[in-house]
Amino acid sequence: MNAVLQSLQPPARHTNEDEEDAWGYGNLDQRGGVRGMMVPRVPDPAAFLNLHTDSISSNPAAKIKLAHGTTTLAFRFKGGIIVAVDSRATAGSYIASGTVKKVIEINPYLLGTMAGGAADCQYWETYLGMQCRLHELRNKERISVAAASKILSNIVYQYKGMGLSMGTMICGWDKTGPALFYVDSDGSRLKGDLFSVGSGSTFAYGVLDQGYSYDLSDEEAQELGRRSIIAAGHRDAFSGNTCNLFHVRENGWEFIANYDVNELWYEYEAKKKAGASQAQAQKDEGMAVE
Amino acid sequence: MECSFGLTGKDFVLLAADTSAGRSIIQMKDDENKIKALGPHIAMAYGGEAGDTNNFADFVDRNLRLYQIRNHTPLLPAAASAWIRRSLAESLRSRHPYSVNLMLAGFDITDSTSHLYWIDYLGTKAIVPYAAHGLGQYLALSTMDKWWTEGVDKREGIEILKKCVDEVGKRSTLKFKFNCILIDASGIHHINLDSSDPIAEMEQAGKAAEVINPNPPLDVGITA
Amino acid sequence: MAYQKARRYDSRTTIFSPEGRLYQVEYAMEAISHAGTVLAVMSKEGIAMAAEKKVTGKLLDLSLAPGGEGMGGVGTEAWGGGGEKIFLLNNNILAGLAGITSDANSLVNFARNSAQRHLFTYDEDIPVEMLVQRLCDMKQGYTQFGGLRPFGVALLYMGWDPLHGFQLYQSDPSGNYSGWKATCIGSNHSAATSLLKQDYKDDLSLEDARQLCLKVMSKTMDSTKLGSEKLEFATMTLHPTTRQPLAKIYRPSELDELLRKYELGGTKDDQIGAGEGSGGGGGQEGGNISLST
Repeated sequence: MNAVLQSLQPPARHTNEDEEDAWGYGNLDQRGGVRGMMVPRVPDPAAFLNLHTDSISSNPAAKIKLAHGTTTLAFRFKGGIIVAVDSRATAGSYIASGTVKKVIEINPYLLGTMAGGAADCQYWETYLGMQCRLHELRNKERISVAAASKILSNIVYQYKGMGLSMGTMICGWDKTGPALFYVDSDGSRLKGDLFSVGSGSTFAYGVLDQGYSYDLSDEEAQELGRRSIIAAGHRDAFSGNTCNLFHVRENGWEFIANYDVNELWYEYEAKKKAGASQAQAQKDEGMAVE
Repeated sequence: MECSFGLTGKDFVLLAADTSAGRSIIQMKDDENKIKALGPHIAMAYGGEAGDTNNFADFVDRNLRLYQIRNHTPLLPAAASAWIRRSLAESLRSRHPYSVNLMLAGFDITDSTSHLYWIDYLGTKAIVPYAAHGLGQYLALSTMDKWWTEGVDKREGIEILKKCVDEVGKRSTLKFKFNCILIDASGIHHINLDSSDPIAEMEQAGKAAEVINPNPPLDVGITA
Repeated sequence: MAYQKARRYDSRTTIFSPEGRLYQVEYAMEAISHAGTVLAVMSKEGIAMAAEKKVTGKLLDLSLAPGGEGMGGVGTEAWGGGGEKIFLLNNNILAGLAGITSDANSLVNFARNSAQRHLFTYDEDIPVEMLVQRLCDMKQGYTQFGGLRPFGVALLYMGWDPLHGFQLYQSDPSGNYSGWKATCIGSNHSAATSLLKQDYKDDLSLEDARQLCLKVMSKTMDSTKLGSEKLEFATMTLHPTTRQPLAKIYRPSELDELLRKYELGGTKDDQIGAGEGSGGGGGQEGGNISLST
């Protein structure tokens, strides 16, 4: 009976990787994974990566240490979305670079941030840019931020447990207005107003949460993003160097500026001191008058 | 850490789940909905491994929808629970097992009975009058043991649930916000646990309190 | 000329004739109209089904038939069925078959497997219409995929499920199915259907349904006297206390008792096996008929 039933099924497809897989959509295969992208050709890719990198566990003997130290943040407010990141790349205790671009410009309306494995983020977010463009060509309209982030989260979910390491925020403006999604290599995808990712995120949250309001002005919002990264860059050894600030508005994102973390920190300190002495002076003055 | 509760009554079922979402020590969100409506009279509260949770919930949702389209009738709670349990049991022995724990609540409109199922990632299924997952198991099962009685009405049910939420607020070092729904013969409704009279608020809100059903009843004309 | 034209298209199931017909499917239906009649009548309290056995004769050794010596039974013990025409597909579903016996056996096996798979996955008895659909999807497949011959079987399904209560369906080799209050397949089905149409009422009791089944059967069958050696009979009801579906396939003695009650015949015990059937399907109807029942 089974033999008869089997003969009823359409002919089995070849599993040759070179062959076009007509079951998928665009570049994606049937399960939403990417054709041609392969995991290490070893019996257990996760164990392999674990041996050589510190992506899954913090294996101290691992030869390849992935760039972990980072502070990135993004938040939604009435004027759009502020995206601010640091620029330090570390490998172990060594600062590999101080000029890393941790904001990935997916297209003129979409930004992605980078935390975790730099290569993973760069590769998959660039790839996401490709998918977004294909979406535009196929559907004659821009992809929503929700859909774009879902593509990314579906892809990384396919590779769950195989060593991908990324924590990213997909930020953009679509028909629904400003939208912000957090996507990570666990497969989590969260919609929200305010996120910070990376080793310095706790320090960034500390400033961000206390200053955040949806009704911030553009200047106030940019200052809050900047100030939060500086705070994290100061406290977190794995974050720092410079801060890149972006602002997403209805007509797409704009790069505001690059700031030196140390310079700004001392500027803030100086201002704080000046402010304090001024206040003291005022207080003294007030007492004198009284 | 997560926490959810379920409780049946005479003609209704209640589900409550916390709304936190985070990574290691950081709470990234305090308003994440972890209860999913799966049909006109069925919903589940889920938790577990990040990523797996939403993926599995979507998988269940789409499959129950498919069943409804194919058979012109939604899967009843008992059969849905069997299907979900089996999905998890089969997943457990696969290459990538889902680590998802859940509570399934439903109201069977064919015989007007309320159903609650406690299901874990190992594929264990228990038919229970009340249950908890996560921290709630340790902190508030005894609370339900003490206060729950056969055939409690909606008002009493919500009172018991409030006791549980209070207990978790009192004895846990973590703070939780809770999202709550009630399922009865008329469908799924939001419940505001902070209200002084949640039932009155639900009835007053009427349609507004109804949870949008992802699987609306089919109204397809049959053509010859 | 017309015959020649037909020949070009009737040897392949997958090919339409220029008139838009699938000859092989039509031939399969033709095979069924020679098969033993199966008819069923639905009532509020349950469904009754009667089926005409074609393979009879005093030399036939029924002890080896499915169900064997103890043909018939109630509930889960109604496995063997009447041996030839009526089968238990699941706790809640009985089917009467007309057509090629071997094809029917294969379908019964498929249906039983489908029902068990549903039970395994959903922990509930398969809804009647779903099982009918499963079988019909399979039957349809055989009218389309290359190199296969359609199933030469029509079925009547009677069942109960919590959602829609008692249901009666009929399916044919094309994979079409439909629901009925009373219906008939097999030889003389059009005559039987018009008799059913005349006498069917919406408020029949189960007793009425049983009687109507057998009365119509006695009129459509060639022989004047009915007996358990030429007939199978079954009912689908609800258990009086548990309200769960209860399938019952009548034992020969129970059926004869019923026939005597309705004064439609009823073989005396000492006459069993001495019926007037010609055996092996009967030579007078053509050689290939021995295959179908």
